[in-house]
Amino acid sequence: MTVHVSPPDAALDPAPLLSIARVSRFYGERIGCADVSFELWPGEVLGIVGESGSGKSTLLRCLAGIDRPDAGEVLFRGSGQPLDIYSVAEQERRRLMRTAWGIVHQNPRDGLRMDVSAGGNVGERLMDRGDRHYGQIRERALDWLARVEIAGERMDDRPRQFSGGMQQRLQIARVLVSEPKLVFMDEPTGGLDVSVQARLLDLLRVLVRDLGLAAIIVTHDLAVARLLTDRLMVMKDGHVVEQGLTDQVLDDPHHAYTQLLTSAVLSV
Amino acid sequence: MTTMIHVENVAKTFTLHNQGGVRLPVFDAVNFSVAAGEALVLAGASGAGKSSLLRILYGNYRPTSGHIHITHAGRAIDIVAAVPRTVLDIRRRTLGFVSQFLRVIPRVSALDIVRDPVLARGMSPEQATARAQAMLARLNLPERLWNLAPATFSGGEQQRVNIARSFVDPSPIMLIDEPTASLDATNRDVVVELIAEARQNGAAIVGIFHDEAVRSQVATRYLDITDFRKAA
Ligand SMILES: Nc1ncnc2c1ncn2[C@@H]1O[C@H](COP(=O)(O)OP(=O)(O)OP(=O)(O)O)[C@@H](O)[C@H]1O
Ligand SMILES: Nc1ncnc2c1ncn2[C@@H]1O[C@H](COP(=O)(O)OP(=O)(O)OP(=O)(O)O)[C@@H](O)[C@H]1O
Ligand SMILES: [Mg+2]
Ligand SMILES: [Mg+2]
Repeated sequence: MTVHVSPPDAALDPAPLLSIARVSRFYGERIGCADVSFELWPGEVLGIVGESGSGKSTLLRCLAGIDRPDAGEVLFRGSGQPLDIYSVAEQERRRLMRTAWGIVHQNPRDGLRMDVSAGGNVGERLMDRGDRHYGQIRERALDWLARVEIAGERMDDRPRQFSGGMQQRLQIARVLVSEPKLVFMDEPTGGLDVSVQARLLDLLRVLVRDLGLAAIIVTHDLAVARLLTDRLMVMKDGHVVEQGLTDQVLDDPHHAYTQLLTSAVLSV
Repeated sequence: MTTMIHVENVAKTFTLHNQGGVRLPVFDAVNFSVAAGEALVLAGASGAGKSSLLRILYGNYRPTSGHIHITHAGRAIDIVAAVPRTVLDIRRRTLGFVSQFLRVIPRVSALDIVRDPVLARGMSPEQATARAQAMLARLNLPERLWNLAPATFSGGEQQRVNIARSFVDPSPIMLIDEPTASLDATNRDVVVELIAEARQNGAAIVGIFHDEAVRSQVATRYLDITDFRKAA
């Protein structure tokens, strides 16, 4: 038997990146999400699945600092002490949202500056982070456009001149260029054709693996969850009804709702 | 000999909530151990629960009760109780699962599929590539296919990629479910050799083989699952 030299691995990380405790969010009488708790460790990719209206986007917005939960806490541990992201000042939370983690929106228009060039969209994030050297910013922006398979000659075009799939890839470059440790994605392949989806998924899979990113991905597509995620959380009516390793949850679902969900598709 | 797998009182019952909550008892009170260098072959009729047991050992199915201690990096860890990232670490370094079919990943070449697990274990890209190529050659996969994504390959070609991926750097524990079903005699013999080599190098093997000849060539011991059938 060969001796395996393992790379620095997640099991050795001393603490979770994100600790969620009893997070709830209500819209008046209606439950958005209720009593959600979990931990996310560096490099882990968590999927959130469930039917329309089950609270996936609501939960993601609470985790990503966009919507303040009505109860519970969201602790983020960058370097140093864990930080309750809703107890820090608004300005500090905004800074974290731009630098420590990234958000990929389902609709690229929500994540891109439509009136700024492709290169500008990517470069802007480096400037937010404090980079000032113009030549280096341009070079990194070009490098990232190439990584998401956008030709360098399109650098000065505006996003509105791009197809939906290209806009989505540009949004991903804009989010990843600042090297966040954690990325939130809400239906990242949502509005795209199947063939465009496959390409984007492959890109995401490789980036997540090569960068050792932790990610939380909301999707209604179990095949996407199977391909991209390590762990899965199943939501129904705002509650988490089942969670575990992705292949466990999909292959040996225990909850009635998860069994319904997995039997509704031909093969995942 | 080092015990690699220790199964303690494992039971499995499926509950089908959307079919009137019917309960399907599969087995109960399963107890056995597998040591390094052994090849345990699971026997029993179709539907007896061989694949279910193998999946439970991998942490893929969850047993209704019981424990499964896997020797991982020198320590026994109960994979049933382990958190997801621990299970994934055990799979990355200790537990290999050879399924009957390749799960095709869009746009990933055969060579990359085979290289992937060794890269994940920290081998240099050059070394990993050389190993992967040697393994694909040994399984007689035509060189012109190496850089193509297997989506368009025949069933037997896909299965050889799957086997190459699993045996390019055998894990200390190999769980094998019907690997030779879609293979011709020549390649079936290669698989039998690969399993024997892994075992002689110290791997603990648990396998399911329908082919009687393959079974007797591989096995050092048998376990009949039917013996654990739950008294319904
Ligand atoms: N801004 C809002 N005001 C009032 N109710 C809302 C608001 N946003 C969401 N809801 C309600 O909260 C519940 C959860 O919605 P959410 O958008 O989180 O669902 P989802 O799981 O993301 O669904 P989908 O898969 O359709 O995107 C739904 O009943 C929804 O109608
Ligand atoms: N995910 C599942 N959900 C519900 N029932 C299942 C599941 N997997 C297996 N079963 C049931 O468990 C029993 C044992 O199946 P299993 O696949 O383990 O048998 P096997 O011994 O491997 O059979 P074969 O030799 O035909 O492959 C069968 O009745 C099967 O229908
Ligand atoms: Mg939503
Ligand atoms: Mg079987």
